[in-house]
Amino acid sequence: MSTKPEEHVRYTRNRREFLTDSMCGFGALAFAQMAQAANPLAPKPSHHPAKAKNVIFLFMAGGPSHLETFDPKPLLNKLSGQKRPAEFGEAKYQFVQNDAKLLGTKRSFAQYGQSGLWVSDLFPHQAKIADDLCVIKSVTGDMVVHSAAQYQMMTGRILPGFPSMGSWVVYGLGSEASSLPSYCVLPDPDGALEAGQPMYMNGFLPAVYQPSMLRPGPKPVLNLDLPKNVQFDSRRKTIDLIKRLNEQNPDGEDPEFAARMSAYDTAFKMQTEAPEVFDVMKESPATLAMYGVGQEPTDDYGRRCLLARRMVEKGVRFVCVVSGGGPGDLQWDAHGDIEENHLRMAAQADQPIAALIQDLKQRGMLDDTLVLWGGEFGRSPEAQTGKGRDHHNLGFTMWMAGGGIQGGQSIGNTDAIGLKAVEDVHHFRDIHTTILHQLGLNQDALSFLHQGRKERLTEIHGEVIRKAVG
Amino acid sequence: MPTYTAAEKRHWSFQPVTVAPTPSFTAPADRAWAQNPIDAFILERLLKDGLRPAPRADRITLIRRVTLDMTGLPPTPAEVDAFVADRAPDAWARVVDRLLASPAYGERWAQHWLDVVRFGETEGFEYDNHRPDAWRYRDYVVHSLNNDKPYPEFVKEQLAGDEMNPNHEQLRIAAGFQRLGAIRRNAGNQEVASSRNEVLTEMTNIVGSAFLGMTLGCARCHDHKFDAIKQSDYYRVQGYFASTFDQDIPLTPAADQAAWKKKFDEVEASLKKIESKMKLLKGDELVRMQSEYKAKEAELPEPLPSLFSVKNDPAKTSPIHLLARGEYELKGAAVGMRPPGILAGPDLPELPLGTENPRTKLADWMFNGNNPLPARVMANRLWSYHFGRGIVATPNDFGRMGARPTHRELLDYLADQYRGNGWHLKPLHRQILLSNTYQQAVTNPLSGKLAAEKDPDKSLLWAFPRKRLDAEQIRDGMLAVSGQLNAKLGGQSVLLPVQPELVNLLYKPHQWVATKDAAEHNRRSLYLIQKRNLRLPFMEVFDLPDRSASCARRESSTHAPQALELLNGDTSSRLAQALAARLRAEAGPTPAKQIDLAYRLATSRLPSAAEKQTALAFLRTQPLEEFALAILNLNAFLYVN
Repeated sequence: MSTKPEEHVRYTRNRREFLTDSMCGFGALAFAQMAQAANPLAPKPSHHPAKAKNVIFLFMAGGPSHLETFDPKPLLNKLSGQKRPAEFGEAKYQFVQNDAKLLGTKRSFAQYGQSGLWVSDLFPHQAKIADDLCVIKSVTGDMVVHSAAQYQMMTGRILPGFPSMGSWVVYGLGSEASSLPSYCVLPDPDGALEAGQPMYMNGFLPAVYQPSMLRPGPKPVLNLDLPKNVQFDSRRKTIDLIKRLNEQNPDGEDPEFAARMSAYDTAFKMQTEAPEVFDVMKESPATLAMYGVGQEPTDDYGRRCLLARRMVEKGVRFVCVVSGGGPGDLQWDAHGDIEENHLRMAAQADQPIAALIQDLKQRGMLDDTLVLWGGEFGRSPEAQTGKGRDHHNLGFTMWMAGGGIQGGQSIGNTDAIGLKAVEDVHHFRDIHTTILHQLGLNQDALSFLHQGRKERLTEIHGEVIRKAVG
Repeated sequence: MPTYTAAEKRHWSFQPVTVAPTPSFTAPADRAWAQNPIDAFILERLLKDGLRPAPRADRITLIRRVTLDMTGLPPTPAEVDAFVADRAPDAWARVVDRLLASPAYGERWAQHWLDVVRFGETEGFEYDNHRPDAWRYRDYVVHSLNNDKPYPEFVKEQLAGDEMNPNHEQLRIAAGFQRLGAIRRNAGNQEVASSRNEVLTEMTNIVGSAFLGMTLGCARCHDHKFDAIKQSDYYRVQGYFASTFDQDIPLTPAADQAAWKKKFDEVEASLKKIESKMKLLKGDELVRMQSEYKAKEAELPEPLPSLFSVKNDPAKTSPIHLLARGEYELKGAAVGMRPPGILAGPDLPELPLGTENPRTKLADWMFNGNNPLPARVMANRLWSYHFGRGIVATPNDFGRMGARPTHRELLDYLADQYRGNGWHLKPLHRQILLSNTYQQAVTNPLSGKLAAEKDPDKSLLWAFPRKRLDAEQIRDGMLAVSGQLNAKLGGQSVLLPVQPELVNLLYKPHQWVATKDAAEHNRRSLYLIQKRNLRLPFMEVFDLPDRSASCARRESSTHAPQALELLNGDTSSRLAQALAARLRAEAGPTPAKQIDLAYRLATSRLPSAAEKQTALAFLRTQPLEEFALAILNLNAFLYVN
């Protein structure tokens, strides 16, 4: 079953209009059914048959280096300390000046898996899942500063105020999670990122598509816990009172009132069932060990990756697990010392990432869960302050796995020093298009009329990365 | 000059405002109902579909509706009683006049305008620097509305206040309009031309949305795909802003400024020192130094008061070119300044960049009498806020992708009235509020069934559309009902104390310093700081718009996090306790009396017998605080009929 593209475009915005639009001729529906029909989070049919149902985005904030991870460049090592030869062309950086010298990498690369994928010794664990990874070495973005690049990676636009991937996906497909928010962001407890919360937000889409920003600690969801001194049973009685008084309201019935009551039921369900999901310690010792939970430095990212799996298991549609936060050096933002920064960041994230893929796979969940890995840009072939690398948006690496993506391959190439994507160049919008495509969503049909424009995640038409989807 | 096709020229919204004869009726019931031309136009359209209007709502419903509509607050029990008891024929008109004269009118309607002009008090993006003086613009709007400033003056002050009189404080503040949007700043190699292009784009887009109901922004990269807006039109409008630059005008003596600068330079020097040390460190040491840096950064002195404004700097005038795909590097033909051609006509000359007082010229052109859009757009906004839906359902877009007017003649009637009354909003509000159309009940026993089939979203207004309160109305209403509202007018914006987890979602958490005076925390939501990178969950969950672009109409969604916020959130818990205390203090210890008062405060009416029984039964075992919390969660509180 497919949805006509127009159905995603509507002027009518509030629930009443939504409801009455979809209700014409069905006036006799029971209110409970109407509330269900009007639930904007009810699962919606995709535009075409879907390969993936859920997305986990492993966001390596600050911009991990392609040159230290998946994109070996022997020539860069040879030219280390020299100025970039003119034939490679120009690049604009945030800090590095034109006279900067190239910087070779200290990482060593080898080929892994049956596919012989190149992975550096920075990621010994990801090397083990090489055959599941579809590494795209030719990603580009338009911006070389964090905030704008983060906006573009998340929302398709270099400005704040546009809906993020997660919000678009939930808008398009609805939610399968009855006791959890359908779109969750798990930020790094070390701190926030340059683009701040707006990059994750719903933009001009209704608030129902906003993310839940999960907090560190035992109470990750805002307002999910009862205030101090209030008992659960007592609060249940209060909710019953609200329900009863609303039913007795002489204003009569209104489908919107029914929808409100169903929101209270969902809220109560979330209160009772979600804490169970958040308790990752319920997992077997073997699973915990696999993610590195209980060990440093993997404990935190391991917990969050594990939580992502548990949430997807419960039907959460889109989870973003952020690695890096706070001051630049606590992100992958290695201006000062690429070695020190990336070894430290990789030590936190590599094992949990590989564990997540293996875990999803052994549970049969990798087939319909698309995992995306990467940051808002890569890093410059030139050195910054001797040992660091500046931001770099002209060619860098992201990978996808699961969700119908063909693993064990690398797509595209940068030039011989990793400066520019030169083969199978894919802008962020192609990444977005491909994710939507795997979810059964068409980038043009998934639109929302705003300020006179049919806004889309991709803004300008993106391409499905055919080699990735097979 | 661009040319336009006959079909483009025929588009409805570009036609002159024409006043159709007011429909007349023969049936006595119709004649009685059609009290003013608004009713006549509405009734005529209803009859076409065989529909009849709803009866008048009861008095309690009416005073609650109009008070929330005009002031954003629920009526007090005394105000309800007075209106219910007032049997004079002009009782309703006097209520309307009282509300129009109330300072809370400006506070409520300023909220709408701030949505339209994308008002924010921080810069957004990475730095999200605070604009400590942007609140002056907010107060300027409140003041302008309360004084019923004629619209051309209101618009001109915002577009060109600095040109009108550079020494006039309020005019300079008004001109701050141009800088209300987000702006990207970052360290390192600045791409000056790129950043300037972003600023100019921002300034241009808002003109189309806010004043003209035109989606000018769609023509930045190419000719508009649907409307008669060429790419050259877009850049010629941008031409009016080519010389416009930010200006902060200090309000403190030179000595204070010098002292401030001294302190600022000191802190900055230490920051630089730490920075240079940081370059030599790594690992834990580096992290430690980074937190030292953050602590030092927090010592930067608070900015001194100044006027947040703009000025022309002709020497720095940016050349304006058509830009392929909107990219500043892909320059096409250079242009001057000129209004959109479809409205300006072929004869209006293009002026060169650098022409004196450019924005005054734009503002004057807007109201030169030939442009039908400002009056239509503003009249439609008014209608949209009163009824929850505009005559044109897309108030920022009167183009082909926008909605068609449901009542074109009525819209022109209102636009004509608006222009004819000297562009004052208050008489127009009054006319709308006194209409029978506005005073209808939410249900229609006569036509309801047929109407629900023919026009389920009530766009023809066969009954009054029920509305959920918006975020500000809910919070302000909770403060008022619980007796906590601090009704102080105007002044600096308030930062509420929020949970540290929320502050930690900021890249620069030290930016959020809660206002020290706790009494300020109970001020109306209008006065809460609009920080782009920290949005209060309470407001956000109830559809506070993202103010990155103009918002003409708020969403009204319903979802579980709203329930969680109203049940478990800090605001609800605190105000439910305050409400319980108020009930005890004012109604005494008797539960029946407490219940009556709670209903009167929150819903403006007494509870029905059934509601009262239910509440009494609850209070036999449960605490009053929980009952108070339930009251703040009731549909009867959160919706307006």
